[in-house]
Amino acid sequence: MKTVTKDTGPLMPPTAVSYKNPRLKAKKWIYHVITGGFALLMLYPIIWLLMSSFKESSQVFITAHSLIPKPFILSNYAAGWEGIAGQSFGVFIKNSLVIVILSTIGAVASSALIAYGFARIQFKWKAFWFACMMVTMMLPHEIIMIPQYIIFAKLGWLNSIKPIVVPQYFGHAFFIFLMVQFIRNIPMELDEAARIDGCGRFSIFYRIILPLITPALATAGIFSFYWKWEDLINPVLYLNSPEKYPVSLALKLFLDSETASNWGAMFAMSVVSLLPVVLIFFLFQKYIVEGISTSGLK
Amino acid sequence: MKKRLASENLAGYAFISPFIIGFLAFTIIPMAVSLYLSFTSYDLFSTPVWVGLDNFKEMFTGDDKFWQSLKVTFTYVFAGVPLRLIFALIVAMLLNKASKAVGLYRTLFYLPSIIGGSVAVAIMWRNIFGNEGTLNALLFFFGIDKKILWYQDPTKALWTLIFLAIWQFGSSMLIFLAGLKNIPPSYHEAANVDGANRFQVFFKITLPLLSPIIFFNLVMQTISAFMTFTPAYIITKGEGGPLDGTLLYSLYIFQKAFNFFQMGYASAMAWVLLLIVGILTLILFKTSKFWVHYESKED
Amino acid sequence: MKKLGLIALSFLLLFSLAACSTSGKETSGGKDDKITLRVAWWGGQPRHDYTMKVIEMYEKANPNVEIEAEFANFDDYWKKLAPMAAANQLPDIIQMDTAYLSQYGEKGQLEDLTKYTEDGLIDVSSIDENTLSGGKIGENMYGFNLGSNVLSVITNDDMLKSSNVELNDENWTWDDFVTMATAVQKSTGKYGTNGMNPADVFFPYYLRTQGERFYNSDGNGLSYTDDKLFVDYFNLQLELLDGEAFPTPDVQAQVKGLEDDFIVKGNAAMTWNWSNQYLGFAQLTDSPLTLNLPPEQAAETALFLKPSMYFSVPKSSEHKEEAAKFIDFFVNDVEANKLIKGDRGVPVSSKVIEAIKPELTEEETKIFEYVERASQNASQADPPDPLGSAEVMKALKDVSEQILFKKITPEEGAKTFRTQAEEILGRNK
Repeated sequence: MKTVTKDTGPLMPPTAVSYKNPRLKAKKWIYHVITGGFALLMLYPIIWLLMSSFKESSQVFITAHSLIPKPFILSNYAAGWEGIAGQSFGVFIKNSLVIVILSTIGAVASSALIAYGFARIQFKWKAFWFACMMVTMMLPHEIIMIPQYIIFAKLGWLNSIKPIVVPQYFGHAFFIFLMVQFIRNIPMELDEAARIDGCGRFSIFYRIILPLITPALATAGIFSFYWKWEDLINPVLYLNSPEKYPVSLALKLFLDSETASNWGAMFAMSVVSLLPVVLIFFLFQKYIVEGISTSGLK
Repeated sequence: MKKRLASENLAGYAFISPFIIGFLAFTIIPMAVSLYLSFTSYDLFSTPVWVGLDNFKEMFTGDDKFWQSLKVTFTYVFAGVPLRLIFALIVAMLLNKASKAVGLYRTLFYLPSIIGGSVAVAIMWRNIFGNEGTLNALLFFFGIDKKILWYQDPTKALWTLIFLAIWQFGSSMLIFLAGLKNIPPSYHEAANVDGANRFQVFFKITLPLLSPIIFFNLVMQTISAFMTFTPAYIITKGEGGPLDGTLLYSLYIFQKAFNFFQMGYASAMAWVLLLIVGILTLILFKTSKFWVHYESKED
Repeated sequence: MKKLGLIALSFLLLFSLAACSTSGKETSGGKDDKITLRVAWWGGQPRHDYTMKVIEMYEKANPNVEIEAEFANFDDYWKKLAPMAAANQLPDIIQMDTAYLSQYGEKGQLEDLTKYTEDGLIDVSSIDENTLSGGKIGENMYGFNLGSNVLSVITNDDMLKSSNVELNDENWTWDDFVTMATAVQKSTGKYGTNGMNPADVFFPYYLRTQGERFYNSDGNGLSYTDDKLFVDYFNLQLELLDGEAFPTPDVQAQVKGLEDDFIVKGNAAMTWNWSNQYLGFAQLTDSPLTLNLPPEQAAETALFLKPSMYFSVPKSSEHKEEAAKFIDFFVNDVEANKLIKGDRGVPVSSKVIEAIKPELTEEETKIFEYVERASQNASQADPPDPLGSAEVMKALKDVSEQILFKKITPEEGAKTFRTQAEEILGRNK
């Protein structure tokens, strides 16, 4: 009987996998039932959303219990795609993509640089600047919104994506703190070994630290993508022309308090707008999974 | 010695310069302005009128809703954050394997977080907890004839928001996953060779190595929980009902600023929140040295 | 290496974007007589679609004018407008609502449009003076009334018939209303009426039927002095609530939109709404619906024509005359109004009403006829809500909720509300 050891993660010791072992198969089954069952429960609301997009607008709430659309229609997707006031939904998706990609690259890159400075370098007043950084997360956005708006108005950046994207290139406290924690978990010996080999600060950052925090980078990338994709308040403030609207804002155009809202189209387009985010997650998660390869270190 | 320190300072500032520039350009002035506004009466259109400490006095002595919103928010934070973190950690550990199905599960568990603050979520959530909603239908299906009226009772209504926060644990889970993957398997192998059992491995190896990440999640989740606005706004249509049971602090700030045009008072409220959150964060940081362990073995 | 390249690329993209848009702005400036007007409104998809068409019509008729449209839904619109006002960046024409007119108008943000009506730039020859005054605060016309709405009780006639209820809307009383709603409940098990929501619309109407008003004429206090009126109104609702003919506040709050509303789902026989919402209901249900005058409107001519919304011109606008011309086109041009129809309320110009009547659908005609009928028994509308009204409305909503959840009695509620309202409005002294 061939035995093979398999990596079962940090919780359990590596076990010998024998393909004829029924106990192991049972364990696997239980695992899948529990995890899968839980996942389905978690997903119910999303399934509801998906099914509602195949129902007629007026029926969505009347038949809210049953997941099965009767009749099953695809016209919501067509109607939703036509968009609003002459802008096809594709335009909105393109706008979202531009904002999100530019923001994510900026946020992740700048945050990594800044995090390295905080984590690895001792400099005067470091604690003060670190505290400043943390504090930026503690003021509700509604309060600094108006003065910020006035600043951007004076810069002439209104009705453009600049106020949304440019600040991302100056670091994002959430990502900075995240990366700081990851970097602090890397043994100093690696830095010193590199220094002895003649590497300068930036080299150490680029060649040693950065590859070792790939999971944090990937996580930050996923978060930034999804936050910016969903961001509503900034586009509301800074984008006036509907042809510049991103998906998050466009979806709200389907709703109206005074007449019948086009729920069907809204749900349909919500589903469509979920796809890029899910895709990015799927693609990037392998960087989180891969973790560090210790072989490259020594 | 001095020369080395100077170059260290330079290097440090060079690396964090993007933050400093951004902070000075986009953040410090709005923050200073909002601090100034908290001592004024400002309706967004006329010039602010200095009122000194009146806003703060009114807040602490004359405003019942202020205390109510604090109570609601503290409940939300202290119930929601620990539960959310526990779920996230458990599920992260379950999913920390290298198998194809796991990749799928990971996505499925993360999906709720993605639809975050969108209108679709709010509609859906209200639908599930509504009187005629799915949850009650499920109870009926199991033969329980009693309906739970989530939105009639302020506490129950708040719990629907807490459940929403917990349901979206995917983002914390993701961070835990990243942290778990950063623990070299060699540590586990060594421990197993030494004959350690599952629990010993978890408590002696995994948890300490994961502690910087647990700390991160704890701090960030606490801060962002205090700031929660969008789900509450959309689900309660900006009302914070019923009977102010879901009047989260930032929702109240929004009402004061944009519905009642009392930006000065709202700014004062915001700074009070900042103080509260700042102090809590400081406490978390100071006590972290007792349980957080960094591999870089710094001082 | 690849990573650095990617980062460098995005910086390049960023700066080229910066370069592009700043240069783009200069060409649409003010050279060679081309005027750019920014027009902003809130609404839903149908409104956005037809308003864009109206704009195109205007641009064709006025080739030297280019219009930039800015639209959003109701919530987002106000979130956006406030910072714009604070930064002096308001569009040239903004759609305005009675709830916000005082705030924006009396704080110096809006231009007084009276002079444009007087010098003929906005033709008001076929518009009633009363209708125009709906946008006036004191002597200043801060908003130009775009259309009229009237309160109504919309009934599901099938449900009424099956409950043997006959409604005579010329002379029914509040007591009749209670009796009918209860009868419907007893016979069908469904609600007799919806939750008469929001309270800040229907309680003032109740006051009008008793010859009283809600706000006093100076806008610095409540007008009605007898709290018995408050108590009576809420006792009426509690009676219906106890009889299960009236939904509890949480059930009412769960209504997400018109298609979820009681009357559409067959869960209520009557619903209290503005006349323009009739169209939405009619489209969503097959049951026959009727627009009825609300109870006791005759004795004190309690009905009024409410301005549904206005167009206002900010003081900061650089093209006020052109803006006024656009408003004139919007309310007077027949072809344009064939697209607008009754979406922004029944049009204010009698000429326009006559001209578009043949174009209306059966349901739209019903609304027009109803408003006409109501206007024959209507008196002067209340002036736009005074400063602080948002807070007063919230206070009323809160008290109403507490009463309907049985946390406090109507008597206690009356006192609490009066104290709060007087304190808020007293700041206007």
